Amino acid sequence: MSEFEKLKIVTKYELLKQFRRKRFYGALVFIILAQVLMIGLYRGLDIPGELGYPDSPELFAIFVVSMSAFAVLAAVFFAGDAIASEFERKTGYVLFPNPIKRRSIVIGKYLACFLATLVILVVGYVISAVALVGIYQAIPVGILGSLAISIALVLGVLGIAFFFSSLLKGGMGATIATLIIFMVVSPIIRGSLSYAGYEPWFLPDYAGDAAMSTYGIDFSEIFAGFTPGGGMQGMMTMMPDPVVSFFVLLIYALVTLLVSIWLTKRREML
Amino acid sequence: MRESIIIENLSKNYGGFLALEKLSLKVKKKEDVALLGPNGAGKTTTLKILCGLLSPSSGTAYINGINVIKERERAISKVGAILETPEFYPFFTPEETLSYLGRLRGMRERGLRSRMNEVLKLVRLDKWTRVKIEKFSRGMKQRLALAQALLHDPPILVLDEPSLGLDPRGMMEIRQILQEARKEKTVFFASHLLTEVAQVCKKVAIIDHGKLRAYDDITRLKKKYRSFERAYLKLTEATI
Repeated sequence: MSEFEKLKIVTKYELLKQFRRKRFYGALVFIILAQVLMIGLYRGLDIPGELGYPDSPELFAIFVVSMSAFAVLAAVFFAGDAIASEFERKTGYVLFPNPIKRRSIVIGKYLACFLATLVILVVGYVISAVALVGIYQAIPVGILGSLAISIALVLGVLGIAFFFSSLLKGGMGATIATLIIFMVVSPIIRGSLSYAGYEPWFLPDYAGDAAMSTYGIDFSEIFAGFTPGGGMQGMMTMMPDPVVSFFVLLIYALVTLLVSIWLTKRREML
Repeated sequence: MRESIIIENLSKNYGGFLALEKLSLKVKKKEDVALLGPNGAGKTTTLKILCGLLSPSSGTAYINGINVIKERERAISKVGAILETPEFYPFFTPEETLSYLGRLRGMRERGLRSRMNEVLKLVRLDKWTRVKIEKFSRGMKQRLALAQALLHDPPILVLDEPSLGLDPRGMMEIRQILQEARKEKTVFFASHLLTEVAQVCKKVAIIDHGKLRAYDDITRLKKKYRSFERAYLKLTEATI
């Protein structure tokens, strides 16, 4: 049997594992509720009126269809314990002594986590698309670019989560470490660079925000009114380039996945 | 190749602690050999290296003439193993677990299904095939561990304390299964239970502090030291 056949088997059963977990259904409920809430707030609080910017499907999409935070959360919760738990919970004693390369196990797990996260992401986009049709009878073309960036973001986040999962002893540690990278470290560096006038195009969370910049609306036009104090203005009005961001995220995904494979191959089952 | 397992000068150092020191051992085809020793003697380390879960600091090991260190996947394809106290994915049923592992080992759907039923019946889990493993007791998981080790009908069994966590009836049943298995398979298993070793195997390798102290037939050791217990105590004196 070829390694590719084995990879497909790992992916299939790892996906089944993800679908059996409560966290998958938790994430699904969470994204549905969050989308409904965001649509409600956008309409209820009259965001366009507050911004002083004409309402349009594109503006609606920027606020409602940009799911980078959800993509990060979903990917991290699926992937944080993917490798670490094999060592931590001793399931590796059954999985690893099989005629399969560890590389195939890591890639299979990665693909399964990706597919599970993709389901969550697509559900979010479908809800938004339905809302767009219901409210504006139109779906902006930029939604496809936004989806592509979100998928690239998921791949990048999964890669980073897999890196920590291969490196650290516990799944919880890997989950927290990945969240810290995205929610604390990257925003701090991003803020500092933005204040200094440098575009942090290489940071994953900034690149992920490109999911909002595919609708053809310049951030400086809408966020200038959104931040009257001006303190955050520099940070919020920088607009990530979608193409550059897409490739930045793919590079994160590729490099971290390769390092994760290398680490897992070297890791001993003590 | 007359030997199923060859261990050559195997050493393992865990950051200053020498768990194995130049261990050499040969297990012939269809031979049943127990690796006996006190806690921390190096039994589990030896088996983990054989199954490719640990890399030796020096030395090498062969399974059916294939170098485990260099060609891990090929070497272990003919091995069924139970290592430490294995855990299973709690969201899976025994049927799904065995299906997953069987397919990874190259078994085809049709043969796999009948073999799954066979081994699950053998370990008395046939009424639990569709129950999630999260509901299983320690002993039931150990039975499932044996089922997965036997699943692909491997010619070599590498077992680390296979009766651990089982009640007296379960221990007896596992020993009967192993006694049956040794007629056609090479059985290499670690234990610190003298009665279990004496019941299941004819030959024993006694190790202590990572070193081989004796490798002989149990009957010969009994003769030499007047009893198997005395042999064990004498040969592992350093730890008492």
